[in-house]
Amino acid sequence: MNGRIPIILISGYLGAGKTTLINHLLAADHGRRIAVLVNDFGAINIDAALISDQTENTISLTNGCVCCSITDDLGTALDALTLREELPDLVVLEASGVAEPSRLARHAGNWPGFELDAIITLLDAETVQLRAVNKFVGQLVKSQIEAADLLVLTKADLVSNETCEKLAGWIETLAPGVSVIMAEAGKVAPELIVGLPARSNLSQTMKEEPHEDNFSTSHWTPPGPIRKDNLIRKLEELPSSIHRVKGFFVDADTGEAVLLQRVGSRFSFEDAPTKAEVGFVMISAGSPDELERGMKILSSIVDVSPLHGPSVVHFN
Amino acid sequence: MSEITVFTARKIRTMNPSMPEASAVAVRDGQIIEVGTLQTMKPWLDAHPHRIDESFVDHVLMPGFIDPHLHPSLGAVLLSCHFITAMEWKLPDRTCAPVRSHEAYLARLKEIDEGIEDPAEPLITWGYHKIWHGAVDREAINAVSSTRPIFVWQRSFHEIIANDAAIDWMGLDRAELERHPQIELDSGRFFETGLSIAVKAMNLYLFEPDRFKNGLELVKKAVHYGGHTTIGEMAYPLLDDSAEWNFLGEAIERDDVPFRMQIIPRGALRGVWDGEIEDEVARVESYASRGSHRLIFGNGVKLFTDGGFFAELMQMQEPGFIDGHHGEWLMAPEMFEALARAFWNAGKRIHVHCTGDLGVELALDTLEMLQFERPRVNHRFTIEHFGVSTPEQVRRIADLGALVSANVYYVHELGEAYWQHSIGYERASQMARLGTLARHNVTTALHSDFTMAPALPLNSAWVAVNRIAESGAVIGPEERIDLDAAMRAITIDAAYVIGMEHEVGSIRAGKKADFTVLEADPWETPVENLKDIPIWGTVFEGQPFPIAK
Repeated sequence: MNGRIPIILISGYLGAGKTTLINHLLAADHGRRIAVLVNDFGAINIDAALISDQTENTISLTNGCVCCSITDDLGTALDALTLREELPDLVVLEASGVAEPSRLARHAGNWPGFELDAIITLLDAETVQLRAVNKFVGQLVKSQIEAADLLVLTKADLVSNETCEKLAGWIETLAPGVSVIMAEAGKVAPELIVGLPARSNLSQTMKEEPHEDNFSTSHWTPPGPIRKDNLIRKLEELPSSIHRVKGFFVDADTGEAVLLQRVGSRFSFEDAPTKAEVGFVMISAGSPDELERGMKILSSIVDVSPLHGPSVVHFN
Repeated sequence: MSEITVFTARKIRTMNPSMPEASAVAVRDGQIIEVGTLQTMKPWLDAHPHRIDESFVDHVLMPGFIDPHLHPSLGAVLLSCHFITAMEWKLPDRTCAPVRSHEAYLARLKEIDEGIEDPAEPLITWGYHKIWHGAVDREAINAVSSTRPIFVWQRSFHEIIANDAAIDWMGLDRAELERHPQIELDSGRFFETGLSIAVKAMNLYLFEPDRFKNGLELVKKAVHYGGHTTIGEMAYPLLDDSAEWNFLGEAIERDDVPFRMQIIPRGALRGVWDGEIEDEVARVESYASRGSHRLIFGNGVKLFTDGGFFAELMQMQEPGFIDGHHGEWLMAPEMFEALARAFWNAGKRIHVHCTGDLGVELALDTLEMLQFERPRVNHRFTIEHFGVSTPEQVRRIADLGALVSANVYYVHELGEAYWQHSIGYERASQMARLGTLARHNVTTALHSDFTMAPALPLNSAWVAVNRIAESGAVIGPEERIDLDAAMRAITIDAAYVIGMEHEVGSIRAGKKADFTVLEADPWETPVENLKDIPIWGTVFEGQPFPIAK
């Protein structure tokens, strides 16, 4: 663990539903201390009962989350977060509708004390294809799709299934292999956006599946140490509906505990705390079959990895 | 009523085509009473007390120069830095001799370092350019000083090179800097998104109140030094209205300040592009009742389409940039259109920042739509900057009745660099296509967007008539304009662009008695030397203000 605060970048052109998603995320019961940075503070709409404190540029919520306005400069807004009494678990950064997400991600994700977790791009199912051929914003809308680790198709309920399928095919040509979540308006299960708590006891989250919000999680406890290169090969084979994978495992080459985080097609390995309980969790909004298939792919790693050690490892 | 003062001059270039030349101008209470000769203005002089002021008998008077687009606050930051530049920079408090080799650069840096008494004071220098100064890196600056934080700020503002003392002074964990893809700690380079980390540290120093205030005094001098008597602050406020308004009042509304400033408000505040349109219109309208003698809120409003020209973030039509990167929009096109419509319907004069040809295209498509919805004549919709455009767009500009305010200095500073590294020769050599504008009779002003170009109208005019690039070669000769057009663009046409042509911009009865006093006549000077004509000073509302030697 390097102590940097992860940043999830929410990208998407005007009207894609970023504010709806953020309103939903802030009020949801996800057990995480999220700091949300927004451009349009006035559009934030939260049930007064959930607000514990409010100033000109900040709303504090009873669930520990906070929403701040990026009044002028992103760096200043990020610095301000590091000065808070309780550091956020993660930052959700709302990109302006015209931001090139890869440029913004380089800026925010390398700001001292922070790192990029994922770029999530929201697409308005009704308008995205028209926008993508617009002479002024076509390139931008395509860049937003291409830069994404996860895509959320909002207002999917407002178009026909056939249109949705065609859209998915078109998106696949721009962003091959990137997961696409279908959402009504901007309502997406928070777990799909922000993942699962990094330091929580994994076995707790493994109990519940499937979830009411139309996503499911699945878990697997590896029987022994795993080689990173084998794991990478398996990760690349996973179906695109597997949005996030997180796991603690023992590196077979070094004997050290490692944390894997995968969002969309991007993944990272970090040193894990020695008390971590080994195990992998997958989150998917696809069909249960695909989740099962994903688990099979991941667990087949034991066939190529030398087996040694107990099936559940505790590090002390 | 006061006595009439008659200024006689070797020649008066009135910029009024109905009487282009004169030898005397009568002034009373800051206003021009009559222009002509002592003989023709005799009836006025017989009827009223007067005196003849012959201080300018060896000089040439022109209407006070006008720069419709510059930014005093940004200028304040830059002018408080040390300049080491490949080109000569004439500043009110110093002339920076050209420095054109690696060795000379480091020697000059050493000299500046040794001239600063406090060994801990940061040294920020601006003007470094690899083509002229070679690779100046961390080690090279360490050799200048291992103790003083030194920041070398590249000419185009997009890269900073720091020595170890400067990196330590930022107070950041080196590991945080090392992992950044746009910071190279070995060479000390901070660029693109890495730049903001260095700038954040530098700002603590640059915006320190006394230093900033001193910088603004230098800007006031620079405005005077360039021969201006009217400027436009083309995007107000920079950050904070109430603080800035108080500050500007204090700094500019003073009897010893020889210029006035029209303030053009931003149509949407920085950072909150998604605000309610009606609120933005109401905010802009609310400024109108303010104002003082020298600070004027006119009928203008500023909007933005694409990104910065020096930053290569202009939006380009096909075939785009050589390296395939894309520009950016400063506000969403829909937002731009909605704001433009609201301000258009409110009868405002709309100024649009456009740098690339796709940015220009958006402005023109929007204007065409607004003209269809609710036709207006004499609307003075103005394209600001006008970096890259197409000939066809110029024709549309003319057809739609729009105006242009161009930063022609781009040609000199960036013409060759953008040929080699950005967009290729054809389009780079035609940036700021003033010749085409002239052929379509589009009213055109020149501006500096200071600090993007020197705040020297004669220098801008020199680029416009010569198109001499950095190396000395002429690029895009078809886009040169003649001297008359260039001089109009810093006087009467600049006044027209900011809706002040009835008050300033030419020398005729009834206008403000604002003059720029030149040591030579531009029409009798070889055009290659236009920028070198010495300026004696100005007359602002009848009162002479010599430039301190």
